[in-house]
Amino acid sequence: MPSSFKILSILFFIVLNSFVVAAKEASELFYTLRTKVLSVKDFTADVKMKIDINNMRIPLLKGTLYFKSPDKMRMERNGGLSILPKKNINLTLGNLIPTGNVMVIDVGYDTLAGKRVHIIKAVPEDELSNIVLTKIWIDETNLLAMRTETTTRNDGTVKMNLEFANYIKYALPDKVTIFLDVKDFKLPKGVTVDYNVNATPDTNAKTGKQKLQKGTIQISYLKYAINTGLGDELFAKGKEE
Amino acid sequence: MIQLLKIELYKIFKRPRTYISFGLITAITFLIQLAMLTDGKGFLGFVMQGINEQFDIQGHILNGYLVTYIILQSLLVQIPLLVALVAGDALAGEANLGTLRLLLTMPISRAKIVLMKFLSSFIYTVLLILWLALVALFLSLLLFGTGDMVNMKSDAFIMILKDDIMWRYFMAFAFAVLAMTTIASLSLFLSAFADNSIGPIMATMGVVVVLTILSNLEIPLFNIIRPYLFTTHMVGWKGFFDDPVPFAAIGRSALVMAFYTIGFLTATIVYFNKKDIKS
Amino acid sequence: MEKIIETQNLTKSFKDFKAVDNLSFAINKGDIYGFLGQNGAGKSTTMRMLLGLIFPDSGKILINGKEFSNKDRSLLKNIGAIIERPDMYGYLSGWDNLKIFATLRNKNIPNTRLYEVLELVGLKGREKDKVKAYSQGMKQRLGLAIALIHQPDILILDEPTNGLDPQGIADMRTLIISLNKDHNKTIIISSHLLYEIEQMATRMLIIHKGKKVVDGATIELLNPDETLVEVKIEPDKNWDTLFADSVWQQKLNHIDTQSAVLKMNPATTPELNNWLVKNGIRVLEIKSKHSLEDYFISLTNDTVTKN
Repeated sequence: MPSSFKILSILFFIVLNSFVVAAKEASELFYTLRTKVLSVKDFTADVKMKIDINNMRIPLLKGTLYFKSPDKMRMERNGGLSILPKKNINLTLGNLIPTGNVMVIDVGYDTLAGKRVHIIKAVPEDELSNIVLTKIWIDETNLLAMRTETTTRNDGTVKMNLEFANYIKYALPDKVTIFLDVKDFKLPKGVTVDYNVNATPDTNAKTGKQKLQKGTIQISYLKYAINTGLGDELFAKGKEE
Repeated sequence: MIQLLKIELYKIFKRPRTYISFGLITAITFLIQLAMLTDGKGFLGFVMQGINEQFDIQGHILNGYLVTYIILQSLLVQIPLLVALVAGDALAGEANLGTLRLLLTMPISRAKIVLMKFLSSFIYTVLLILWLALVALFLSLLLFGTGDMVNMKSDAFIMILKDDIMWRYFMAFAFAVLAMTTIASLSLFLSAFADNSIGPIMATMGVVVVLTILSNLEIPLFNIIRPYLFTTHMVGWKGFFDDPVPFAAIGRSALVMAFYTIGFLTATIVYFNKKDIKS
Repeated sequence: MEKIIETQNLTKSFKDFKAVDNLSFAINKGDIYGFLGQNGAGKSTTMRMLLGLIFPDSGKILINGKEFSNKDRSLLKNIGAIIERPDMYGYLSGWDNLKIFATLRNKNIPNTRLYEVLELVGLKGREKDKVKAYSQGMKQRLGLAIALIHQPDILILDEPTNGLDPQGIADMRTLIISLNKDHNKTIIISSHLLYEIEQMATRMLIIHKGKKVVDGATIELLNPDETLVEVKIEPDKNWDTLFADSVWQQKLNHIDTQSAVLKMNPATTPELNNWLVKNGIRVLEIKSKHSLEDYFISLTNDTVTKN
């Protein structure tokens, strides 16, 4: 019997060890990916942005997106308006994965868009971080995050799908689709006097409850200029009118 | 016919009262523009509260297009009064002046006279809206510049690109002309009954105010009649600033108002044709 | 005689009030036709019906022998009118007012014609003034100018002397008579004053409560033989018997101790006076009063219904 116990314990050790190894691998994978992502200090990109949120009707916006690590972002539309989600998160990958020391959990493998992806969960050790948890689908061959799902303390859950083609080296996507939660907003009718011929009173409007809506933002990056050393003044506020 | 119309227009535009309307439009427009120049940000902050919580909107929001929209929104409620000032006076004013009986001893059919009164009121309305377009739109663009436009509905935020706006204003002003023509026909109709112009002017405003309240009260009972009230359709110009533009609904609204206009005009002619002139 | 306007059984009620009741009359070409009646008698309503301002409940109006209806207002082309007050567009000049109505009549009326009528009514030189600055008389004359601008054969003048001062009344009267005599206008004129009608009208119609009382030539209606002549004397004992067997006997209408009323032509008053004096009567006063006037005054003393 002792031999069988031994075998069992060995087996157990192997299994356990493989977990530890796997965890170690996943952790490494995460940090390598993060380093790659964060290697982009800034970029300027021509973008097309499609904001698709239930109660917001915004046309396809073409413009230039400026980004500076870690969290500065600005869209410039040649005198036009730019709309970006106002939160602690922004629309770059670097911002959706936790910073600092992170506990990485290996979730396993799956197939995404015909590719085998390694799924990990990253939990920041800093308890005050806005990010509670980020789940990342990683293409290990190209070291790219294909999908993220970030649970935040204040901004709900933000999911991001990324498609890569021309800027794989910088882990910069050609197209991202961001799924986020948006609160419903209401203006009192008296203020707006809407044109509403067959208005059926919205129950939601009456209870005044703010429902959460799902929204998506799709950004196509047409051309990047990377690490050109953008100054902070570019992102300075005050241009808002 | 043309002579009669010319004379009606001459009578309208020779009178100082007519220009009060143009003055009022100018004054109110200036006031709103001034308010927007001084405290536009505060106003925007209030209106866009809901959206600003979650989105960071940057750029020249308070541009001429938005200011024009704000002006139209507040002014198109008052313009019926200015239209009534002339259309409500068309028959009743002459009755009050005593000139109606002289006018009606001319060998011209009363139907023609009513029609020309209507046409002249219509032309006045068109000029009024054109003037509004001029001071509200062009002056605002001059003062505030152009840019993409945001439109806050009670339950939606709409953004329209700069190059996609002008045609909407043209359509909106055209729609406003139709809406105000309906008011003119209502005023003219009421005018046929009265011997002084205050009555029809007040009555027009009364009808507009009451029906507007009915159009906006969210009570199920009124939901049934709402589509049949012309006041429901008067704000149809806003449809042009929606995305997508509800052309079918706007078309229906235009039809409803055209129907009312023709109805009021026909009723005026029928009634006035039989009316004994005792004033 | 050519009938230029004729009405047949014209009737019009306003709610319960019968304004015109079965009224028939005919106006001949060349008449100055006087409508006489107190306020509210139906003069204005009748005139407004002739002009298509008020529509009769029943009855017919014929203008130049053709039936007038609201459907065909072309018959109005031959009529010019002033109805009650001569109201104008006060914010416009006299010229503008005249021009407006001239154009409505016929856009080809030349400005020379405008000056012509202004001259005729005596407003030349004042045409550029705003009408609100006009006196009542000037407005009335502008009204007449408008009525005349298209050279109509018929003029309908509703109380044209209302609100005028005595001089204005006299001027208007002269003008109306001249329009009839020199310009061959058939004129229909209304008044609540007998003496006014009497001085102008060739024929007249008395209406009371919407009904015709009497109509006919003024000369006949105001037949001098129908004049009542009242004599007042100092008391005289022969007075009672004096008239017996005299030529005046049959003309005697009424007699008491100090006066007598005779129905006679006032032209013979001097003879009456001579005769009385010859018979030793001391005459204090002789005055004559037409019977129609008496009659008319009795009407006006009735309860007056407002227009």
